[in-house]
Amino acid sequence: MTHTLRIYLRLLRVQFRSQLQYRASFVFLLFGTGLTASLEFASLALVLQRFDTIRGWTVAEVAFLYGLVEIAFGLMDMVFSGFDPQRFGLEVRKGTFDQILLRPISPTVQVLGSDLALRRIGRILTGAAIFAFAISRVSIAWTPVKLVLVPVMVVSMVLFFGGLFMIGATIAFWTVESIEVMNIVTYGGAYVISHPMHIYQRWLRGFFTYILPAIFLNYYPALFILGKTDPLGVPAWGPYAAPLVGVGVLLAALWFWRFGIRNYQSTGT
Amino acid sequence: MRLFLEIFIRSVRRQMTYRATILAGLATNYIFGLFRIAILLALYGDRQSVAGVDIDGAVTYMVLIQALIGFLSMFSWFDLMQSVYTGEVSGDLLKPISLYTLWMARDLGRAAVQFVFRGLLIFALYLPFFDLAYPAGAGQWLGLAIVIVLGWAVSFSWRFLVNLFAFWSPNALGIGRFLFILSWFFSGFLMPLRYYPDWVVEIANLTPFPYMMNVVLDVFIGVLTGPDLFAVVMVQLAWIAALGLAGQVVLRAGVRRLVILGG
Repeated sequence: MTHTLRIYLRLLRVQFRSQLQYRASFVFLLFGTGLTASLEFASLALVLQRFDTIRGWTVAEVAFLYGLVEIAFGLMDMVFSGFDPQRFGLEVRKGTFDQILLRPISPTVQVLGSDLALRRIGRILTGAAIFAFAISRVSIAWTPVKLVLVPVMVVSMVLFFGGLFMIGATIAFWTVESIEVMNIVTYGGAYVISHPMHIYQRWLRGFFTYILPAIFLNYYPALFILGKTDPLGVPAWGPYAAPLVGVGVLLAALWFWRFGIRNYQSTGT
Repeated sequence: MRLFLEIFIRSVRRQMTYRATILAGLATNYIFGLFRIAILLALYGDRQSVAGVDIDGAVTYMVLIQALIGFLSMFSWFDLMQSVYTGEVSGDLLKPISLYTLWMARDLGRAAVQFVFRGLLIFALYLPFFDLAYPAGAGQWLGLAIVIVLGWAVSFSWRFLVNLFAFWSPNALGIGRFLFILSWFFSGFLMPLRYYPDWVVEIANLTPFPYMMNVVLDVFIGVLTGPDLFAVVMVQLAWIAALGLAGQVVLRAGVRRLVILGG
């Protein structure tokens, strides 16, 4: 266990070194990822000047949801970038995944350590700024429970989206190329839960409640923390289910990933 | 002209071999469009009209944006940049056609396939589920056709220019991505410009970006008509000329720096 951890950390050190080699390009990539997140939010915030609220939520309240998702997705995208289906599909296609299987170290750890997209820090920082804007503008009656809930939400979302990345990567074992449809639940899921869930039509909310229960990651705990009245009738445990969803999805993904490796057939390239 | 046509036809054929990829992209664009429609309708709330755009117009906005992504290659286009890095550009420079015209023919082929198999198809797939707004009258349809073609030309000239950074930097992808993201905001891709405060629109109008996508949206739903439409077409032509010229000048300077490594 400690051996595996040491190897993981060493792999990460390699990533640090190689990515910081070209400083100027790295800075541009950093600003690029930060800019994406901030322009997308700015566009919503500017439009809200005209529309005022989005079904009763002010720009600061939406920023609470939005900021947390940006932080979490950025973190996830950095830590799990080895499993990014787009990247991993290429690995399967080129046959480089075969090399990983030949080494006497857990393939999961090797894939995790194969990339650490440091440029995502740009997105994480932007998310933090959006979140800071939110809590400076909304008066929240903080309690110890609420204070603990915020980091729990972030970690749960990291595990949740990380799990989805792993599932997408595993599917690439069979399809060989990355499947763009997976983007709908990863990037699309993050987009959907960045906004208050009661604005969506029934079918869409239903999908993200019963099939992929992302509604518990952000919306329900946010309702509780912000003290908003709940239009959907959440059960009393609703705000606390985030870790269950996060861990659950990651465990399912791990199981599927192992299953995929057992049935892996190389492309022979 | 014959050469242009030949390259165009080859490019169309090449694009057609990526049918599966186009369909996958289509599915993603389509479903993202549903999310975006839901959010815009939530913003409308109980209002019937905002900034002169009614509900049908608002839905149509989102449908069009999603339908135009592939056609205008909104997310990225670094084909020319890659050809500089691989050295293929040296072969292209030897061809009896200017690099600009060559890539224009290639991109037109790409855009045409994306327009039909992604754009029109996405639009058709929204039709049964939403009430959309359409251009009123033959004149408006004609204006739309012109604005779409010129919008592609503005977009291509700009993308060509961005790719030329490759002649100066061995890793121009960073700056390239940066500029593309900027274009999302100012082209109306993130939100149609009409919904923004006036000062944002004024800034946007100083850039070429609204003339790629946003004007197409406005002409389609009918909030841009008559003399205003005519003026927009003139600005589009001016941008094509300016960006095209800049492309020629920068290219000439870049080619002089080009060193191809043999191998």
